[in-house]
Amino acid sequence: MSSEKTAQNPTSYWKIWGMLLALTIVMLFLDQAPMPQTMFVIIMVSAMLTKASLIAAYFMHLKQEHPFLQATFVVGLVVNASFMFALFIPDAVRIYHMVNG
Amino acid sequence: MAEAAATTQDRWGGGVCPFDAGWQKVMMWMFIVTDGLLFGAFLASYGYMRFMSNSWPNQSEVFSIPFIAAMTFVLITSSATMASAVAAANHGDKATVGKYLLMTIVGGALFLGMQAYEWTHFIQEGGRLWANPWGDPMFGAYFFLITGFHGTHVLSGVIILAILWLRWNKGVATSTGVEMGGLYWHFVDLVWVFVFTCFYLL
Repeated sequence: MSSEKTAQNPTSYWKIWGMLLALTIVMLFLDQAPMPQTMFVIIMVSAMLTKASLIAAYFMHLKQEHPFLQATFVVGLVVNASFMFALFIPDAVRIYHMVNG
Repeated sequence: MAEAAATTQDRWGGGVCPFDAGWQKVMMWMFIVTDGLLFGAFLASYGYMRFMSNSWPNQSEVFSIPFIAAMTFVLITSSATMASAVAAANHGDKATVGKYLLMTIVGGALFLGMQAYEWTHFIQEGGRLWANPWGDPMFGAYFFLITGFHGTHVLSGVIILAILWLRWNKGVATSTGVEMGGLYWHFVDLVWVFVFTCFYLL
């Protein structure tokens, strides 16, 4: 069952590899480019999430899986990870301001 | 609509296979999500320390970013060879599977060698778990924790793939086994995407 579902043309994997490589090169280039910090973080995080999505969708074949499986794992992971960041980061900012006035 | 509801009912009302996937794949995804959350907690904790610290070192002054980029290239390439091995296994192309699995193992071993070099350089420069010459003492702790935990996963992956390669050559391993090995290896690559961006670039 799963074997039939994940059978793909190997050429498509090398296209994804090219895209991942291109995104990495763009990130390295931007790392040296002068720009406002907020914009830098937004661009880097967007590129990171795009790369992660490409790996999960195509290399890990999540795109071809049943929507139940996609929803269970992706939503669970994203919601839990978001909670962790949402709980930790504001507290870090609070302590930073407390220590540094 | 009613038909879709009925199908859902069939799947969940004692249905055998609600995810349309074998138990190996479902269990592997369970592992990936839980392990992913562990890495997520490490990175969230790292972000916490970064925000809190006013003396966090500039990574580009500590690490050679082009070298880390080369490590990334090696890992992404090994992921592509692993995906090709999975595709070949599904097509029943036995020789190609062995070839691509071996390339993936070599890629993983190369990544580990590069990481060993990076750790050696970091330690020689004075980086320790509890202190470092660049700034906040927690910088060294997070470097060893995050890259060490990821490196352990790469090492496990190389061992798993080596066993898989041997079993495949003996004709014992199945295409499902190759697919599960592939899922694990891509997860290792996926985690590196986050580590590379959050720890080395941001």
